[in-house]
Amino acid sequence: MGGIRMTLPLKLTPAETALLDALDGATGWRAATRAALENRGLPNKRDEAWKWTDLRRLTGNITEAGTIAITGTREPDAKLPIRHAPTDILPRLAGALGGEARIYTLSEGESLSLEVTASVGVGHAIYVVEVPTGVSAQVRERLSVADGGFANIAVLYRIGEGASLDRIVSIGDCPGILAVSSGVDLGEGASLRQTTLTFGGKLVRLETHLAHPGAKAEAVMDAVYLLAPNRHADLTTTATISGPEGNLSQLTKGAVASHGHGVFQGKIHVEREAQRTDARMTHRALMLGDRAEIDAKPELEIYADDVQCAHGNALGAIDETALFYMRQRGLPEAQARAILIRSFLAEPLDRIRDPQIRDSLLEDLVTGLEALS
Amino acid sequence: MVQVKDSIARETVRDVEALESSKYKYGFTTDIEQERAPKGLSEEVIRFISAKKEEPEWMLDWRLAAYRRWLQMEEPTWAKVRYTPVDYDDIYYYAGPKSGTKYESIDDVPPEILADFEKLGIPLREQEVLLGVKGAAETAADARETPKVAVDAVFDSVSVATTFKKELAKAGVIFMSISEAIREHPELVRKYLGSVVPQSDNFFATLNSAVFSDGTFVYVPKGVRCPMELSTYFRMNAEGTGQFERTLIIADEGSYVSYLEGCTAPMRDENQLHAAIVELVALDDAEIKYSTVQNWWPGDENGKGGVYNFVTKRGDCRGRNSKISWTQVETGSAITWKYPSCILRGDNSVGEFYSIAVTNGAQQADTGTKMIHLGRNTRSRIISKGISAGRSDNTYRGLVSVHAKAEGARNFTQCDSLLIGDRCGAHTVPYVECKTPKAVLEHEATTTKLSEDQLFYARQRGLDEEAATALLVNGFVREVLQELPMEFAVEAQKLLAVSLEGSVG
Repeated sequence: MGGIRMTLPLKLTPAETALLDALDGATGWRAATRAALENRGLPNKRDEAWKWTDLRRLTGNITEAGTIAITGTREPDAKLPIRHAPTDILPRLAGALGGEARIYTLSEGESLSLEVTASVGVGHAIYVVEVPTGVSAQVRERLSVADGGFANIAVLYRIGEGASLDRIVSIGDCPGILAVSSGVDLGEGASLRQTTLTFGGKLVRLETHLAHPGAKAEAVMDAVYLLAPNRHADLTTTATISGPEGNLSQLTKGAVASHGHGVFQGKIHVEREAQRTDARMTHRALMLGDRAEIDAKPELEIYADDVQCAHGNALGAIDETALFYMRQRGLPEAQARAILIRSFLAEPLDRIRDPQIRDSLLEDLVTGLEALS
Repeated sequence: MVQVKDSIARETVRDVEALESSKYKYGFTTDIEQERAPKGLSEEVIRFISAKKEEPEWMLDWRLAAYRRWLQMEEPTWAKVRYTPVDYDDIYYYAGPKSGTKYESIDDVPPEILADFEKLGIPLREQEVLLGVKGAAETAADARETPKVAVDAVFDSVSVATTFKKELAKAGVIFMSISEAIREHPELVRKYLGSVVPQSDNFFATLNSAVFSDGTFVYVPKGVRCPMELSTYFRMNAEGTGQFERTLIIADEGSYVSYLEGCTAPMRDENQLHAAIVELVALDDAEIKYSTVQNWWPGDENGKGGVYNFVTKRGDCRGRNSKISWTQVETGSAITWKYPSCILRGDNSVGEFYSIAVTNGAQQADTGTKMIHLGRNTRSRIISKGISAGRSDNTYRGLVSVHAKAEGARNFTQCDSLLIGDRCGAHTVPYVECKTPKAVLEHEATTTKLSEDQLFYARQRGLDEEAATALLVNGFVREVLQELPMEFAVEAQKLLAVSLEGSVG
């Protein structure tokens, strides 16, 4: 509220200075990106969209150049230079410094798996997945960043008319900093089912920006986060629904141990023309120990009157009554807790359609829980 | 079914029309002589205001410090409202009726002001009490038989009269204008003023701290249950005037007070600025209930004119087991920027926020609350009902923050929005921050239109369309209306009817 006038120029962090150096001599939108970075720095607490995730502070001293390796079940169909600038600073930087974009065009029934591994230092990458009209396909992305690394990744999904995509994103062990900005363009009558599983990192920020045409298209954006001490995960989504009769369902569940920090930000924007939209967003999370922190901002912005929109948000501890009951039945406390947390967190994963992937993510979840206790 | 829907669209058109100036019954100005400070804001103007109020030196210094701080601040832009920027140098910061502040007999009160109050429908059955010294006791005694409301009326910048003062004094309750309180109870004012909303809290609050001209002061002593509802009516009258009142209510240990606030302003082409501060302090086991019916002039149907309502309201549950409850019915103002909040500092303290915000025509409201849980076992409850019609935008913006030490904290939030017509907007922006595992926080929000099934059902039972719609809207806001004191509930229902005339009858 009513901040003091900023007269001093921004004092750049070493990481920012290194990024500016990398953009020296840039022209066009790349030069504009450089200027924006110089003026405002990397996203930080002063930016409304980054209120609870201070990327600027945590990237502070990472200056050396790193690499991001992307390996997949197959090579991309094309590699193209970036011509147009995205809006936000991170995808802009990824576009400016991430080299050519890898383009994957999926075929009917394809199941593409991508392994994204980032080394120490700052790395940028950008890739595009196209799902042509009428095609049903699946993509699984697994990402990790080494300790001392900062990976900035921009992803663009184009889902054609009547196409269907299951997207599963999982973040494995991630001692470094990871920021993924995904833009998803959904075609008329198309379907997106996106599920994310993360155990956090030094900082993990996963943004999904969905452009939803209404038009009987359906989108599911589910997520699960389980955070060990000193892990941070930020799940941010925006959905702009621009036409009538669209469907959106979001379910995010989380559990945070002592000194962990979970952030959920979701925004549903229903435009004037988007009559008869049905949109639901739910975030529920468990606080597992002292000094755990969870922040949430589930937002609705609605301009159409004939809609059904709702969001719910609930935070609390494990149900002591249930715990008591299970212990009474002879289960040791740690095990009883793990079972309760697992069943609480599993709900979004249970909605994954591919049984193999579903089981594999559930297994990851159990492993993560075991590591916690 | 289709028939019902079509007629809703027709009602919507009528909603917008309902905002036409003729429907705003408070849109009159009073033709009385005004004494004003020179236009614009400067240290001289602040000195003028302070001198006018015969304030002690410390008060002037306090104002000047706020002013200097304000010069370095920027107007906030994060709210979801758009408006023509305010020219802070084109406002009169002080306007008072020339004839003086307090009246000894009926002859002293300008008849125009009296007529004004009558039009406002203030429960001034106590008008004799308001006006004269003679007969006050009898009137008070008479009044004892019916529910009483003690009134402080603030006209532009100056508090013109406070009723039932004597009877309140018997109970030990201090109820007077804040300028009087600065003179008569400086120790209390000095101790509490700015202790909830600090001098430089935000842009508008800092401006208010520099230039506030009057307002109400209430002190309820230990163990006293205030014998009547206290009430203030604020009215802006003079052209090009800003109103900057400041209310300070202190409920000492074990006391209780219920306070009502009503606001109106005349119709004017230009925008009028209202930047008020309300500070509430509840000590151990005390309870404050603060109700507002806000009906500032909302501007005409094209968004011309209307009041900019930029208000900072905050309550501090400073003591154990204390409770502060905000209830608001917001139907007026062109722009509303208002977040009545509770700081739940004392263990087991309770904060409540019940709100109905209605926007129509070109109104924009960004309103909500903040519940800051600091103490153990603190509880808060937020019920917000937003109704948007016409081309208006209605935003709920709220924060629930639970500190690491607030073990056992509990919050429940429910925000429901109703859209009437397809040219308005309803938005929900809740912030939730939790730093302890020993808290439970729940938030629910829905956005819908009036249910066609329910309308159909009501009509099937013989209600005409208008009555059916009214029934549903009343049902929609019921949880909040029932929190209002009786005197206000009636007025609030009337206001809702006027604001949404055509569709809610």
